[in-house]
Amino acid sequence: MPSVLSTGTSALLAFQRALATTSHNVANINTDGYSRQKVDFATRSPTDAGYATVGNGTKITDIRRVADQLAISRLLDSNGELARLQQLSAMADRVDSLFSDSATNLSGVWSNFFDSISGLSANAAGSADRRSVLDSANTLVNRFKSMSANLESLGSEVNNGLMAAADEVNRLAAEIAQINGVIGSNVAKAAPDLLDRRDQLITQLVGYTGGTAVIQDGGIINVYSAGGNALVVGTSASKVTTVADPYQPERLQLALVTQGQTITLDGKALGGSIGGLLEFRDTILAPAQAELGRIAVGMALEVNQSHREGMDLYGDMGVDFFNLAPPKVSAHSGNDPASTASISASYDDLAALDGQNLQLRFDGSNWIATRTDTGVQVPMTGTGPTYVVNGIELTISGTPSLNDRFLLQPTATATNGLSVAITDPSRIAAANPVRASADLGNIGTGVAGKVDVTDATDTALLNQASIEFIDADNYTIDGAGPFPYVPGQVISANGWSLVLDGKPAAGDQFIVAPNQAGSSDNGNATRLAAVEDAKSFNGGTITLNGALGGLTTQVGAAARAADYSLQAQQVINENAQATRDAISGVNLDEEAADMLRLQQAYQAASQLISTADTLFQSILRAVG
Amino acid sequence: MNNRISSNMMYDQSVFLMLSRQSKMNQLERQLATGQKLVTAKDDPVAAGTAVGMDRVLAELEQLGANAANVQNRLGLQENALAQAGELLTRVTELTLEANNAALSTEDRKSVSAELKSVRDALLSLANSTDGSGRYLFGGSNDGAPPFSSIGGSIVYNGDQTQRQVEVAPGSFVQDALPGSEIFMRIRTGDGSIDGSAATGNGGQGVLTNVSRDGSATWNGESYTVRFSGPDTYDILDELGNPVGGGTYSEGQDIVFQGLRMQLTGVPAAGDEFNVGQAGNRDVFSTIDRLVQALNMDTATSADRTAQQNLLQSSLRDVARASEKMIDARAAGGAQLSAIDNAASLREANSITLKDSLSQLRDLDYAEAIGQYQLEKASLQAAQTIFTQMQSMSLFNMIR
Repeated sequence: MPSVLSTGTSALLAFQRALATTSHNVANINTDGYSRQKVDFATRSPTDAGYATVGNGTKITDIRRVADQLAISRLLDSNGELARLQQLSAMADRVDSLFSDSATNLSGVWSNFFDSISGLSANAAGSADRRSVLDSANTLVNRFKSMSANLESLGSEVNNGLMAAADEVNRLAAEIAQINGVIGSNVAKAAPDLLDRRDQLITQLVGYTGGTAVIQDGGIINVYSAGGNALVVGTSASKVTTVADPYQPERLQLALVTQGQTITLDGKALGGSIGGLLEFRDTILAPAQAELGRIAVGMALEVNQSHREGMDLYGDMGVDFFNLAPPKVSAHSGNDPASTASISASYDDLAALDGQNLQLRFDGSNWIATRTDTGVQVPMTGTGPTYVVNGIELTISGTPSLNDRFLLQPTATATNGLSVAITDPSRIAAANPVRASADLGNIGTGVAGKVDVTDATDTALLNQASIEFIDADNYTIDGAGPFPYVPGQVISANGWSLVLDGKPAAGDQFIVAPNQAGSSDNGNATRLAAVEDAKSFNGGTITLNGALGGLTTQVGAAARAADYSLQAQQVINENAQATRDAISGVNLDEEAADMLRLQQAYQAASQLISTADTLFQSILRAVG
Repeated sequence: MNNRISSNMMYDQSVFLMLSRQSKMNQLERQLATGQKLVTAKDDPVAAGTAVGMDRVLAELEQLGANAANVQNRLGLQENALAQAGELLTRVTELTLEANNAALSTEDRKSVSAELKSVRDALLSLANSTDGSGRYLFGGSNDGAPPFSSIGGSIVYNGDQTQRQVEVAPGSFVQDALPGSEIFMRIRTGDGSIDGSAATGNGGQGVLTNVSRDGSATWNGESYTVRFSGPDTYDILDELGNPVGGGTYSEGQDIVFQGLRMQLTGVPAAGDEFNVGQAGNRDVFSTIDRLVQALNMDTATSADRTAQQNLLQSSLRDVARASEKMIDARAAGGAQLSAIDNAASLREANSITLKDSLSQLRDLDYAEAIGQYQLEKASLQAAQTIFTQMQSMSLFNMIR
């Protein structure tokens, strides 16, 4: 009888606890990272009655969470990668729409600028056409600047993202370390809810940094970033912080603070949303800025070059049309304070210019240039103090110290210094600086064709020159010569060249003289209009127009690649989540069935108590 | 195959399904609304890059069309001016022939010369015509001021000889209006290569009516003098005055020597000289001035009349050359105008091809997109139906 009562009571208590667990499961159906809990029953120790051992009912041995560390690890991995790709793709989409939307991109205003120059070539002295060239040039420059500003603001967002992420990483790491301390080294004794909480925090942390969680000594979990840097070891959490890039203080980097030292974390060694931010900055933002700058530099240099070869309405030789700042060289903040070296840079060869950022390092006797993205050494010509690398001329002054480092950004900041140098429409050099004319007394059929400027820097360019034909086959230039003449040949002197149409006769004279003020000649406007199709880039294989289309493709392709990877990772993550949920997730139907099962068992156990009572009462009656 | 799934998973998967359908539908809606396949460069990076280049070429074609209209306007004005100038020169020829009539009285000659003067002025104002935007049509690139001005009674050209070239189709240029020097100033005299004249002191009645090459290639480019030693004999002298030949002359008979041919009428006197040689240049205004001067000559003696005849004959030749020059200039302008028309067809054809390619790259196939949209809609509806069914199925609902 007592055994019936105590067996029934043990069952009642056990089933009550089990029902409570079921209700805990149901209650936490919407809790992130919750693992369903299961109650383990076992028989109580039997009583040896001499003739046999008699069972004593049931007891609960454990309430444990149903979890598989492998499934959790997979999900952790996949979560970190998903966070990285989501960040990368979202940022890449921003750049993509900046370059795709005709209201913000370059192609429309770019087209207007060259159209206005083409219009000028049809009406070279027209003041409206000249004004239109200046206006569209200013619009184009502003668009370059606003695109560049948009890209820079994305750079600031990366900085802000890094600062916010660093705070979160520190908070999460500290919490994980603290929970590690509570759980200790025996996971079996730990509260399931605490384990869930720790897994959840680790998932969040890895979402920021990427990486892995490793169980140590059966209970403690250590978390490492994707690059292997320890974020949480046992009960101690690392501290991360943001530090300024030694070359570019406006660029933040993530660093690990350990034992009083600050170690900058390599962007490639980080996953999660921080890795996504850094990858975006290095592989999408920086190349887009560099290429945008390269197009601006190419346009400015080519237009300036052609513009200097022309003559304006005042009869003066053209000056630079665009102002352009030199390439940016920044010293490493850790350079030897005793070093007096400084580097100035200028654009040398557009065809060799690739916009790639370079690190310049002094190895004690030579300067070495390496790409900042791959670390590959780039050949540098020259013997000092002047060197040429990737189309940039570097002049080194002062005395460098060993391991002095400088960052060369050939084009990334070019749009900052870009502006239209001319405000007076009459200063646009649309005319050829020199013109040729045949003497009105010439009796041959020779007509002076277009004069081409072959060397605008020739000091004698604007000197009047007289070409005289001694006979049909020989000519002199300003008395020099005679030179043999074949019809159709090029006659050149003083930086110009000329082809005569028709056949000159003996005694014929041609004069090449400077164009005068107010000339409506369009010779140089035509040359300016052709700049967009001049093959100026990549060793003379890519036109300015081609580079512009290429930039759109570059940005679009980066966004597409990020999007494809994200879509793939979403599927992988779905699978990982499904696998984890299949093991640990709560199923309401299952809980309902459990509830019914436990309810019935509970009712049956209650019946046992009642039966024991009936037995007890019948004995009392028999005795009484 | 795992038989166990969590309730959240059922919800999450249904929601994920619906979300992905909705995002796909949103993309299609944007495409349908804009009519474009490429919403951003991400949709097809290579096509987007190509489209940037094609858009630029299309815009360029449009601008070249505007350039062509500009040149066409100027060439049209040149055509009008030259047509009028041609008519004026025809009038000059008529007047000269009229003045050449020996029966014409001195008064009549005076009135002819008065009309010639007005023709000359009309020609000058044509030569100084503007293009409607304040620039002078025939000034070359120095067209801010009138290119022709009268200095000391003769016309001076102040323009330059630059003939602008304007791009009217990709890579194809047409020449803008001709500089005035090539129309009005540099005009060869005589027959275009040979010219002749009677010496000023001639006493006979020999009138030089025509000079030309004799059809052979023997002329060495030198000038010669035909000096009559009598009414029917002559000597040929070279530039240094050395005799190089001679012959007999009868009226109406050509004198042929050294590859040249001279036609004379009338009988020259002994000592009369005629010079033949390389033709020079004379501007059309000077030619008319010479005509006027000839008409105003004193014609008291027969020698004076002969001199006048000779001058008129020479001027007639020059007027003919000037007319030819106008016709050549018109022809050259006409060729440029036709080049502009050709360029227009080329631009049109290129533009159609480009728009077609751009449309293929960028424009949406509505039939396909709408079909796709319906499909997505159907699967979204299915997902929604399944979701409602699923969420009503719970064991807890059965426990009463």
